[in-house]
Amino acid sequence: MSDSTYLLEVKNLCRHFTSGRGKNKLVVKAVDNVSFGVKPAETFGLVGESGCGKTTLGRTIIRLYDPTSGQVFFNGREISGKMTGELRRYLTENIAMIFQDPIESLNPRMTVEEIIGEGLKVRGVKDKAEIRRRVVEMLKKVGLNEEHATRYPHEFSGGQRQRIGIARALIVQPKMIIADEPVSALDVSIQAQVINLLNDLKEEFGLTILFIAHNLSVVKYFSDRIGVMYYGRLVEVARGEDLYAKPLHPYTRALLSAIPEPNPLTARNKKRLDYDPERDHDYSREKPEMVEIEPEHFVYCSPSEAARYREICRSAVKAGD
Amino acid sequence: MIVDRNNLPEDIRDLPESCFEIVGSEDISDEPFKTEAIGFFKDAIYRLRKNKLSVIAFWLITAVIISAIIVPHLTGYSPTAQNLAYRNLPPKIPGLEKLGIADGTRILTNRPKASLSEFPEGSIIQIVREYKASNVDMVDVKVDYYKFVGVPEGEYHWMGTDYLGRDLCTRLFLGARISLLIAFFAVVANIIIGVVYGACAGYYGGRVDMILTHFAEILDGLPYLVVTILFMLLFGSGMFSIVLALTVTGWIGTARLVRAQFYRFKGREYVLAARTLGVRDRALIFRHILPNAIGPVITRAMISIPGAIFSESFLAYIGLGIKPPNPSIGVLLSDGQRVLLQYPYQTVFPAVLISVLMVSFNLFANGLRDALDPTQRGEI
Ligand SMILES: Nc1ncnc2c1ncn2[C@@H]1O[C@H](COP(=O)(O)OP(=O)(O)O)[C@@H](O)[C@H]1O
Ligand SMILES: [Mg+2]
Repeated sequence: MSDSTYLLEVKNLCRHFTSGRGKNKLVVKAVDNVSFGVKPAETFGLVGESGCGKTTLGRTIIRLYDPTSGQVFFNGREISGKMTGELRRYLTENIAMIFQDPIESLNPRMTVEEIIGEGLKVRGVKDKAEIRRRVVEMLKKVGLNEEHATRYPHEFSGGQRQRIGIARALIVQPKMIIADEPVSALDVSIQAQVINLLNDLKEEFGLTILFIAHNLSVVKYFSDRIGVMYYGRLVEVARGEDLYAKPLHPYTRALLSAIPEPNPLTARNKKRLDYDPERDHDYSREKPEMVEIEPEHFVYCSPSEAARYREICRSAVKAGD
Repeated sequence: MIVDRNNLPEDIRDLPESCFEIVGSEDISDEPFKTEAIGFFKDAIYRLRKNKLSVIAFWLITAVIISAIIVPHLTGYSPTAQNLAYRNLPPKIPGLEKLGIADGTRILTNRPKASLSEFPEGSIIQIVREYKASNVDMVDVKVDYYKFVGVPEGEYHWMGTDYLGRDLCTRLFLGARISLLIAFFAVVANIIIGVVYGACAGYYGGRVDMILTHFAEILDGLPYLVVTILFMLLFGSGMFSIVLALTVTGWIGTARLVRAQFYRFKGREYVLAARTLGVRDRALIFRHILPNAIGPVITRAMISIPGAIFSESFLAYIGLGIKPPNPSIGVLLSDGQRVLLQYPYQTVFPAVLISVLMVSFNLFANGLRDALDPTQRGEI
């Protein structure tokens, strides 16, 4: 069963890639036993270094990949089961995706109007004028204009293309957006622009967003809750401010220490932490699992680590008083 | 929004949260473009036109095609009507005849000198050599061959006639027409079959791909000539059999290429994006993947046209050509080579035409490949 506080709930999701047969068989556990939930109208930030399985997780949720095991629920309905035409329709109506690469994610042989309007066509909107009207409306929302509709993607800059990608995802009015590193490939100056646009549209459409990023600096300012991923596993989930104020898992601390400081005075005496699972954990006797240390603050740890983390939280509260 | 106060200078550190705003949150609205919108194929044609050799090749091909359509009607001769009296006439072209080339003359060797008086009046131009053989006076004599066999004044065969007295020019361009048609049908059939087959194998992958690929491999192993002869027996020797023979295994290369292209393109993010929007397999294949993957396929089709012409000629050459009396370039070459030493022009003209076609199609295909290469997009 699923928890009704969540719009999207992921339970023990695994996605393994296998290659080769027999002796050469190789299994990559890209997503391994991941559980979390996204509440309605919140932004959930998913962070982890490149190759830790964020993209795979996003694509498995939206069923570009089939899950190896585990379950995904959307609005109480299981969406990880056998693929049927009906389920596909349910998925496309409710979840849309924004992709990472602004060059790769738009078909170079289609005009912007064809690209953005395709979702409408699939939903059976036949009237050309109607499609045109809604495409132009959407273009204006993302800061482009009517004249851009007849253009081909190669004429646009990276930021503009990414906004076209956003328009394509939003025109079908989904309840939820999975944004897979939508700004990683952009200049820093453009990143804020695109993120703010996404934020504004989120308010306007009442969207729920699963925002994937490879470092905390991008998500920390506007994610309600953040999940940290390490090698296919979720290691810590917490509200944004909690994660930022009292990171518990050593990997989260390492990630936080990696955010560059804009202030040279404080940057000088900042310490970079590194994370080495062999050194930082001793799981030879106790098995680690997801533990709720504080309300809404989950950490992947062994019982003894959990006790230590609780102690840290208690002392942080005292220090706050 | 969380304000990271630790990083702020002291004087503003204690301001309330409401004083902070994310930079870049002002409304964005972009200028319209000033230039004209250019689609991919428009762009490709623009770049193709920059390539001089391709342009020349294109016009050569066009010229041959137009000639193949109209020349057989202009010569005024039937391509199949035989006239044994006028056989093996040398080329004679109005205008050029005064310059001494293509003037319809020939050197007749080993004629008894006495027989010269029986030659039609005015046909002897020059005695090239006189000698004695077994006490008989012999001559080699250059004659106006048209007068010699009694062709009426004003009748010209630009490329001469063949061993049955048929006008070679008419036959050559009619042959070009038939060869081009055979090549065209064979290539179109190959492309259609190859694209559909390769698209299925590449798009669905896995077991479907395995079965399709193995089937193609088995077919590829069939002895090509045996199959061709079988078709000739079944359907008679005609255009249909030849097109069929060129198609049986011809599509396999295209299918392999298309399959590889599909493997390359099906994982692109724009294809995935279309999938998340619920676009169906058919539209994904034909609207999203194929237009992006088709460049090398078009180039391949262009290159395989001369290949098909050449294969047809080869079949004709070994006697598996189209049904006589219809000509094709291969049939003409095959006929010509039998009299290559006596009447070389009967081989030279078809050989030149087939060479022009092969070179032109290859040059044009090269230009096309560069023009359709997406990495060269926007370059001049
Ligand atoms: N289609 C695939 N086949 C095999 N392995 C894959 C595939 N996609 C991803 N992987 C592997 O799964 C792991 C996670 O990849 P990915 O989800 O792309 O990470 P991220 O998005 O966090 O950078 C990587 O080790 C990658 O090599
Ligand atoms: Mg990724």
